Amino acid sequence: MSIQRRGIHLDQSELLCKKGCGFYGNAAWQGFCSKCWREEKQRQIQEDWALAERLQREEEEAYANRQQKSQPQAAVTPFNKFEERKNKEKSSKVHTVTKFFTPSTKTPPKKDAAPFDAHSGPSPSSSTRRHSCLEDERATQEFIDFLKPLKSGREIFKQCRAFTEGMVYKQDMGADELSECVQDFYQNLSDRLQAQFKGSSDHVESVMDEVEKYMMTRLYKAVFCPESTDDEKKDLAIQKRIRSLHWVTIEMLCVPVDEDIPEVSDRVVKAITDVIEMDSKWVPKEKLACITRCSKHIFNAIKVSKKEAASADDFLPTLIYIVLKANPPRLQSNIQYITRFCNPSRLMSGEDGYYFTNLCCAVAFIEKLDAQSLNLSSEEFELYMSGQASPNWLQTRGASSSSSGSTALTQVHNQADLSVLDKREEHVRKGARQLENDLIDWTNEVEQKVQSALESFPAGTPAPAGTAASEPAPAAPSAIDSENVENELLPPPLQPQVFAG
Amino acid sequence: MSSAGAAGTSNRTYSFKVVLLGEGCVGKTSLVLRYCENKFNDKHITTLQASFLTKKLNITGKRVNLAIWDTAGQERFHALGPIYYRDSNGAVLVYDVTDEDSFQKVKNWVKELRKMLGNDICLCIVGNKIDLDKDRHVSVEDAESYAESVGAKHYHTSAKLNKGIEELFLDLCKRMMETAHAEERAKGNGASQSAATRRGVQIVDDEPQATPAGGCCSSG
Ligand SMILES: Nc1nc2c(ncn2[C@@H]2O[C@H](COP(=O)(O)OP(=O)(O)OP(=O)(O)O)[C@@H](O)[C@H]2O)c(=O)[nH]1
Ligand SMILES: [Mg+2]
Ligand SMILES: [Zn+2]
Repeated sequence: MSIQRRGIHLDQSELLCKKGCGFYGNAAWQGFCSKCWREEKQRQIQEDWALAERLQREEEEAYANRQQKSQPQAAVTPFNKFEERKNKEKSSKVHTVTKFFTPSTKTPPKKDAAPFDAHSGPSPSSSTRRHSCLEDERATQEFIDFLKPLKSGREIFKQCRAFTEGMVYKQDMGADELSECVQDFYQNLSDRLQAQFKGSSDHVESVMDEVEKYMMTRLYKAVFCPESTDDEKKDLAIQKRIRSLHWVTIEMLCVPVDEDIPEVSDRVVKAITDVIEMDSKWVPKEKLACITRCSKHIFNAIKVSKKEAASADDFLPTLIYIVLKANPPRLQSNIQYITRFCNPSRLMSGEDGYYFTNLCCAVAFIEKLDAQSLNLSSEEFELYMSGQASPNWLQTRGASSSSSGSTALTQVHNQADLSVLDKREEHVRKGARQLENDLIDWTNEVEQKVQSALESFPAGTPAPAGTAASEPAPAAPSAIDSENVENELLPPPLQPQVFAG
Repeated sequence: MSSAGAAGTSNRTYSFKVVLLGEGCVGKTSLVLRYCENKFNDKHITTLQASFLTKKLNITGKRVNLAIWDTAGQERFHALGPIYYRDSNGAVLVYDVTDEDSFQKVKNWVKELRKMLGNDICLCIVGNKIDLDKDRHVSVEDAESYAESVGAKHYHTSAKLNKGIEELFLDLCKRMMETAHAEERAKGNGASQSAATRRGVQIVDDEPQATPAGGCCSSG
């Protein structure tokens, strides 16, 4: 469908807002400009969710007097718990809730001037919230669209929105508690859906996916790599670690891919791109999808290289290799975020979960990696780690050797590598010594020549350099001529230095 | 009895995660490829990968989704085991009947799994390659009595001849269903694992790394 849109197919009328307001439209906003799109969307929301809004208000009023006694307890029944949590946050939440449902009030007049800044409304703004507003709105819209046909859609939306709004103001909570809250919510909601859909787990899954997408899009900025954790420190640590392991080769890891095959190296590049892309996604499930795509490229690379389906023994080393090559940004933060906020059923038994688990394994392996895990001697390992030696240049020669089963071979190569290095160094040292000797010889030689030249011009005769230049050639013997040429090459201070005293 | 326990969930689909553990070359990958794709040593397979495979079963009217996780068997990956097997409902511990060492490895796995996961996990000990019975180095009695002593079931299989594999997984599924029922009854609701148990990606440090890395085995 997007194929037609691609290319240079610019018709002005297509670019303008569908409402004809004169601003440019955007495909992402269904052809509207940002202003009209927002209005259009909000009109829809208004229609579809007016009732939900009213119920929300009634609920808030009903709970208003109970506001204080709302410590979260383990024993409360699922949804009461959320009502209570939500209620606790009620006062601050009202702004954001009504924002979605009352479009025209309080909107600053100059919003047309900045069509991409969706909201400059009166939200109790941490700046992060304002930045993610556009995403928030889109997520909300998509969530509503998805839920519309469901009988209980409105109820689900209400619960999720209430919970999400509540979470935004819990940033002072520890990451584990935040995760606990979200996981409890997932669990309770999916249990309820399970009962409601009479056990059709596919259906439950698809709703839960949308729930996660909606909630985590809105919560991302607040709960990704939160300050309360040392996620960021860990990110930097693994990044540094991977950088220090730049010398690790395919052979050391027993990676069964042959990058000389163009299709394979293409897959490798794609796998690297995908694992890097993970950082740009907001929703755990979408981050997982990046890992899964990366894994599929790896499987293809293995299959083309090995001509058989990849087993875990092929896959894990290759994934480790890809991670080492990619050094994905904020790796630990991403893993933690997924672990904390992903739908648990997906992580526990699904295919995405398998690849994610392998990524966790790869990271753990990289963190703990030592000489033994690469079949190296600890001396070699230290040498490579300290940057005193590198096995890489040998790579070009070793590349064609069959990759699997070549551990021993690699070791031999590495040792060969080392001894070759030794030889090279010896060679260089010899060269240096030789050069030194040559220099001494040369100086001596020059001294001698100069001396003999001086001796052949007894005192009283004009200085040799001057005469040689001004007098015609025949008077001087050829030997002196050639000596003169060499004399001219001498650095000027040499003569006076040698003969001054 | 079991139908009473599943009163509210008679229609539910079970999702089970099963990990395959065992030394390199004992036939883990072969077993699962045989089970899910009915293939053995087939170079022309259309399967892209043999590390994560699923199978849908219908056991006495209940739907079961089985996810089988292959694990990397090389010694140097041993310490990663806990990351793989956490949250799994079952483990298939494979050894090669012609290889005494591989049976010893299974015993180590059993110890570790029981230590980390207790009795929540259903263990199957599988002696593979019974088509090579003439080279057998692990006696049937030893293996079976060991399995019984640790509360595991023992099976004999041949991925090559497709023997014993269906039974192995069917049996395992039934046991995992029973465990799930028992858990539900204990907890009084349909929740599977509590959210708390699924958190924390960790690996244990105190691994008995007896032998140095074994290297690859693709020559065999
Ligand atoms: N005779 C015989 N050979 C088998 C059987 N099962 C597997 N093999 C062979 O054993 C070798 C190893 O099998 P894999 O399935 O790759 O073993 P694995 O346990 O997955 O090994 P890793 O992936 O290295 O951990 C292959 O050459 C198989 O053909 C069997 O039942 N009988
Ligand atoms: Mg295998
Ligand atoms: Zn417009």
